[in-house]
Amino acid sequence: MIEIKDLKASVEEKDILKGLNLNIGPGEVHAIMGPNGAGKSTLGNVLAGREGYEVTGGSATLNGKDILDLDPEERAREGLFLAFQYPVEIPGVSNLEFLKASVDAVREQQGKPALDSVQFLKLAREKCKAVNLDQSFLKRGVNEGFSGGEKKRNELMQMMLLEPSLCILDETDSGLDIDALQVVAEGVNAMRDANRSFIVVTHYQRLLDYIVPDYVHVLANGRIVKSGGKELALELEEKGYGWLENGNDNGAE
Amino acid sequence: MATNAEIESQIKAREYKAGFVTNIESETLPPGLDEDVVRFISAKKGEPEWLTEWRLKAYREWLTMTEPDWAHIGYPKIDYQDISYYSAPKSMDDKPKSLDEVDPELLAVYDKLGIPLHEQMALAGVAVDAVFDSVSVATTFRDKLEEAGVIFMPISEAVHEYPELIKKYMGSVVPQRDNYFAALNSAVFSDGSFVYIPKGVRCPMELSTYFRINEAMTGQFERTLIVADEGSYVSYLEGCTAPMRDENQLHAAVVELVALDGAEIKYSTVQNWYPGDENGKGGIYNFVTKRAVAHTNAKVSWTQVETGSAVTWKYPSCVLKGDNSIGEFYSVALTNNYQQADTGTKMIHMGKNTKSTIISKGISAGKSQNAYRGLVRMGPMAEGARNFTQCDSLLLGDKCGAHTFPYIESKHPSAVVEHEATTSTVSDDQLFLCQQRGIDTEKAVSMIVNGFCKEVFKELPMEFAVEAGKLLEISLEGSVG
Amino acid sequence: MAAEFIAQQLTLAKNISPLAWLTSTNERGQQAFSQAELPTKKHEDWKYTSLYNLSQAGFAATAPEAQAHAPVIPGLSAHRIVIANGEIDTNASDAAALELVVRFRDARPEQQEIIRGLLGEVKADRGHLFADLNDASINDGLFLLVEKNQRLEHPLHIVYANSCSSTAGDEAFTVNTRLLVALEQGAEATVIEHYAGDDTVDGVQNNFTNAVTEIRIGDNAKLTHYRLQLMSESAFHIGGTFIDLQRDARYEGFHLGLGTALTRNDIIVNHNVGGSHCEMNGVYVPQNKQVIDFHTCVEHKVAHCTTNEVFRGIMNNKAKATFNGRIHIHPDAQKTLAELSNKNLLLTNTAEINTKPELEIYADDVQCAHGATVAQLEEKARFYLQSRGISKEDAEIMLSFGFINELLNGLNHEEIGLWLRPQLAQRFGRSDDLSAQLTGEL
Repeated sequence: MIEIKDLKASVEEKDILKGLNLNIGPGEVHAIMGPNGAGKSTLGNVLAGREGYEVTGGSATLNGKDILDLDPEERAREGLFLAFQYPVEIPGVSNLEFLKASVDAVREQQGKPALDSVQFLKLAREKCKAVNLDQSFLKRGVNEGFSGGEKKRNELMQMMLLEPSLCILDETDSGLDIDALQVVAEGVNAMRDANRSFIVVTHYQRLLDYIVPDYVHVLANGRIVKSGGKELALELEEKGYGWLENGNDNGAE
Repeated sequence: MATNAEIESQIKAREYKAGFVTNIESETLPPGLDEDVVRFISAKKGEPEWLTEWRLKAYREWLTMTEPDWAHIGYPKIDYQDISYYSAPKSMDDKPKSLDEVDPELLAVYDKLGIPLHEQMALAGVAVDAVFDSVSVATTFRDKLEEAGVIFMPISEAVHEYPELIKKYMGSVVPQRDNYFAALNSAVFSDGSFVYIPKGVRCPMELSTYFRINEAMTGQFERTLIVADEGSYVSYLEGCTAPMRDENQLHAAVVELVALDGAEIKYSTVQNWYPGDENGKGGIYNFVTKRAVAHTNAKVSWTQVETGSAVTWKYPSCVLKGDNSIGEFYSVALTNNYQQADTGTKMIHMGKNTKSTIISKGISAGKSQNAYRGLVRMGPMAEGARNFTQCDSLLLGDKCGAHTFPYIESKHPSAVVEHEATTSTVSDDQLFLCQQRGIDTEKAVSMIVNGFCKEVFKELPMEFAVEAGKLLEISLEGSVG
Repeated sequence: MAAEFIAQQLTLAKNISPLAWLTSTNERGQQAFSQAELPTKKHEDWKYTSLYNLSQAGFAATAPEAQAHAPVIPGLSAHRIVIANGEIDTNASDAAALELVVRFRDARPEQQEIIRGLLGEVKADRGHLFADLNDASINDGLFLLVEKNQRLEHPLHIVYANSCSSTAGDEAFTVNTRLLVALEQGAEATVIEHYAGDDTVDGVQNNFTNAVTEIRIGDNAKLTHYRLQLMSESAFHIGGTFIDLQRDARYEGFHLGLGTALTRNDIIVNHNVGGSHCEMNGVYVPQNKQVIDFHTCVEHKVAHCTTNEVFRGIMNNKAKATFNGRIHIHPDAQKTLAELSNKNLLLTNTAEINTKPELEIYADDVQCAHGATVAQLEEKARFYLQSRGISKEDAEIMLSFGFINELLNGLNHEEIGLWLRPQLAQRFGRSDDLSAQLTGEL
């Protein structure tokens, strides 16, 4: 699905990712954990092509295609989806209008026929229900005045509408209470299938009780320093990251 | 993803689609202004003595006045002796009796602008008065309107056919010496539209005037007068374009609206005069006085979409004279490149329980300056009067300016005035979110800008809301994507 | 009349006994003022405030012998300096306070250098003709310098007490005052400028105060500033406050306009380097035929600075107030956060308010907002009080007072709030009972 080789990236001329390798096969869920400042959020932003994140080396291929030279919207149309840690508000632009423009663009790339307004509205309502958001949220401005949990559910709804092949969840659990976390996790689990992969970036092991990963990686100081199965997460929760970081130079961000 | 530089270069790529020149043989006065010129214009239109005197009085007032300098705009001094004050297509010398007699070249101009004047091709439900330089060339659907008792004709004809109405109302809202540009207009006004809606009549169609400046070195000084008699309703729209020329041209119009008891006037403007090129060369200087008087229970609503002109100086206002009268002002003003706009409104609350709403959306891009200037005045008798003002600015790029100058004056303890202003930009975060969802920068900006203007667009008549949206898109083509 | 006023003031300025090291400032001021014209309604900055009454009053006389009746702020331990009729009253002032500040007149040569270096520097050319008049007339003044990382333990309380005796037939006079405050890096201080009324039996306060205050707040330094104008309703007051903020400096100001026949205050704040914050609140409560005019201007010249400004006013009887709040974001002042709110209540249909919040913005990545309201008391709130048995009149008074009380509650020095509260409540309370209730004394 996605193959990341020796990826190096910097922000404001400071090296954050220092040679990251990661292979994710179709249908797999990989969790990425690590201490603050390890470069966890940077990974998602670099893969999605955010401005200000400069790739200084390495490659990333999605479904066999090098994505690092593509514009962010092109990557999105290629099936990469980033669920933001802090989704921005866009007042004045209705959620529905935004979702339609997004789905239209992605479907066009995939050679699927455009949905007419009626079909789309029906679909959007369905997904709204699936993530437990009131339909009035479709009419409101994008994320405008949404609570933290509502914003995350709105992200999830977009994921469902766009049906991406690679989903990157960037600390989706931060700031969520247990109930909200469960709704999001259920949504994600429902999306899991043999052709879709996930990168779940999190700071807390708790999320992984709900979204059970196939692999867990520890990102520290810009590199994957340890990989293992889901039990690694429990070990991290208990021991912290200190035992893994010894011998590395400090201050990744 | 798009950088600011990219955005700016895209903004620059904007194209002015109404910028063509038409070769039509015209009779044009040589540049210059004195009493003889005023008399010439009056004579050319065969005006009665009282109107010639009215013009001369205005001219003499104008001579004693000085050009206002308080607005947040800068432009080289206008040489009023360097402007031609009258220009008309020769083919209009003998007044055509019907559309069939109008010079096909002229009709072609309006076709090209998307305003077909042949009734069978015209937009359904919209009557158009087309003003070309100093004269009205055609007015459509006149017969149909006459059936309803609605008068819609060039003001130059109304002077002859309805002298009593003109005498009574012209200058009653904007007196000759109201301001420098209004005084100039009163002296030399060329043509414009006159509308009268009789008591209790709901005008059966949208009325529209389309202004076109064609001739070089000419100023355009039209005058519009709309009188809505008791309990009547009319919706009126004006549109404006001009060719691309390197020199600046002056447009100084006066619009007067009279809404008698219980009447309602909805006045919409899509102003797309030539804004000058990307280096700020050329473009129209747009100095316009628009004012309405609302009598008891009357309602006046101004909606404007201002995208053109090198300089805009314009404050469509409402004098809320009668009790319970309502004034509204909805505005989108977009400036790009070196355009400058100083625009807003005045709401003068005189009567009891008068209400006003002001929604102003300013969008600045390029190196332009965009200012909102508004006055809300609650007079000593304005018991229970209410105003709400929302004034938002959107800045696209770091070389432009957005300014807000609201004046609030209140003399009544029960009057309530609320003013809010905000400023924002299209943030990198917003653009990135859109891109991450597969929406390109250009589309994203267009969505955000349209969202920003939504409250105003919904006030426009349907066909024109679409036009306004498109106009904005062209004006920002590729811009802050 | 206007020309006469200018001539009178100029003569007074020329008659001062000058300080040799300040004569160039005097001359420059006299030069500028002699060419000045008294502004009229046609000047945008004076559109709503007429100087006619000021120019008519005539303040030709020199100040009579000082008779200080300077109030204290109960419970506030402060260093107090009393300036009576323009002269420092050393007897009425605390010895410790006199130690803290430098009198221009007593400045040693090296202090003269510092003062000269700062004087007019903060104000630059932003003052109007009255600032020129002040320059023309300086022959004394106060200079407070707080050195690096020093913290002034007690507020400096400067009381300006003007008075003349009606029985002695004293004439109205002019007082030009000058205050210079400089906080070095990391310094902290509180300064209270207190323009007091005159409550002596035969005292009249029909004089004209023209005060200029220049403040420079150094890197990471913090000044709390109160400027309280509580003069008699016959006095005239023109004030210019100029504030420079260096890197990460913090200004917290509270400006009160209560007294005088005419007050005009110009407050100019400059964000000069970056990271600085301005928190400025103000209250004006004119009654009878008083005229109070606040013009504030915050200059965001550089990036990453913040401003939060709140002014509220209540106008009673035939009073008239003007508020003009300008926020100017210069082209490079990205990431600015600036907010301004101005709320007003008119209590009668003969009172008047003119407000003009202005935003002038030349940078795109900024968040600015302003709001202005002129309103009635909230119907719902009044009804709630009435439904609890409070009369409509009392409810209105309580709500009016609540409107400004919010700002008093937010003061850094609670004692100042406690002291001001009854004086403001008096403006609304019809009975002592209610005043007491409002101020929480019952």
